[in-house]
Amino acid sequence: MNYPMVKRLILKDWYFLRWAILAYSATGLLAIGLTAMGTDASSYAGSILLITVMIAIGFHLVMVTVVGERSEHTLPFIMSLPISPMEYTTAKIGANLLIFLVPWLTLTTGTVLLLGTEGARSGALIPFTLIILTELLTAYVLVLTVAIVTESQGWTIGVLVLTNLFFQGFLYWVSHLPAIARGMKGRGAVWDQTAVTLLAAEVGISILLIVMAFVLQARKKHFL
Amino acid sequence: MTNLAVQFEGVSKEYPHFKLDDINLILPEGGIMGFIGANGAGKSTTIRILMGLVHQDRGTVRVLGHPMPAEQAAAKLDIGFASEDMRLYKGATLRWHMEFIRSIYPAWDPAYADQLLKRFDLRAEQKVKGLSHGQRVKAALLLILARRPRLLVLDEPTTGLDPVARQEVLGQLMEVLADEDRTIFFSSQNTLDVEQISDQITFIDRGRIVDSGDKESFLERWRRVRLDVPPGVVLPALPGTVAAAGSGRLSVITTSSYDPAMTAAYRDAGATVHAVDTMTLEEIFVAEVLSRREGKVA
Repeated sequence: MNYPMVKRLILKDWYFLRWAILAYSATGLLAIGLTAMGTDASSYAGSILLITVMIAIGFHLVMVTVVGERSEHTLPFIMSLPISPMEYTTAKIGANLLIFLVPWLTLTTGTVLLLGTEGARSGALIPFTLIILTELLTAYVLVLTVAIVTESQGWTIGVLVLTNLFFQGFLYWVSHLPAIARGMKGRGAVWDQTAVTLLAAEVGISILLIVMAFVLQARKKHFL
Repeated sequence: MTNLAVQFEGVSKEYPHFKLDDINLILPEGGIMGFIGANGAGKSTTIRILMGLVHQDRGTVRVLGHPMPAEQAAAKLDIGFASEDMRLYKGATLRWHMEFIRSIYPAWDPAYADQLLKRFDLRAEQKVKGLSHGQRVKAALLLILARRPRLLVLDEPTTGLDPVARQEVLGQLMEVLADEDRTIFFSSQNTLDVEQISDQITFIDRGRIVDSGDKESFLERWRRVRLDVPPGVVLPALPGTVAAAGSGRLSVITTSSYDPAMTAAYRDAGATVHAVDTMTLEEIFVAEVLSRREGKVA
């Protein structure tokens, strides 16, 4: 594996998206600020804005760095460089995860800290919030995998729409799980088996999707 | 023994509606091969296999000594590739692209890059989205030439260029030829371009190589013989005849293996030879392809 080359490609994507990363991070912090204001309206608006920012980052990243590389015809330029298709795949997954995880970790950490410092009642929301935000990470990894493997705008947008629809149902389902619902009404964060299992499943599926992306790419015979 | 820059042996690739069939091709180091074919003939697929970006179903490919696609990353360190559908990043300047390529290729020659900037009349600080098509092609060529590759692979680089830009691009390529270590594999539909810069010619049609050889021998071998054929005279069937056309007494014979003895044979048969015309590469290409499609062996 030519890691210096992979690093250059990651830095290249980071360079092209630097202003977008900044803008999304700032908007995300604004969302946390709204939530911190403490009123029902501001908390609701902050939550909606935070989720919207997360979805928008993922969509923007995949469309620019993966699908855009093909539709803008910059893929032949990149593939003419001394890299193998697997190194290209590694660079794309690396760049996307890195760029997505910076605002995701910042906003997730900010949200958890905020909930933790607001008092015991808010602290009870931490497991539910983490499960919901991690679902957004898993959905992003799914969209990224589809984009890398298919390089198709249609497939990518289709899966993105499905993941967003699924998210609405997931939100409802998780909030109505007896263990989670009970925990949210309690005092302080309760990490029961349901919460831990859901979180572990989300992380596990994300890892599995990344492995699948590599396996499917290794079987490909056409890279242009 | 001459080192081979490109070697295809029995290479095939099958798609649902197209088949690249049994491609055998060699290009010695220092050679310039013009790869000519109509739209959909298989030029780009062949080039993508050469670059390791499409994997062949059968056969072996070696580029600069590297088996492809297995060692494509190592091979591409010494290859400069530009294709008609290749674009640079719109939002970045040409300078950014130059620095990006410089960081990858140790052989990048900054003085030569500056020289090419002036020659191509490009501004390094200009964003790619502000460049015309001709400027974009020249920018892409600058990026590959200044890294001093051993092998240049150009897939229809002059497509879509106006005549002035095309001449500029070809002129620069001719300059590159001065470097004897440089090998060029150049595909085009435009036979005039190929005729200007190539010393070897390969014709491809419907996924098969129909002829390959050095340019001079192509131009020497192919002729059109204009004859006056009186009624009752039957022309002898000579080897190499790929087409016979005409009306009334006038007959035009196209041959792929001209020999002065041919004209003597026609005269002996009772015909009068009016002229023996040389053919352009385009005329040769069209005659070759049509004769193959009609099942005549050239």
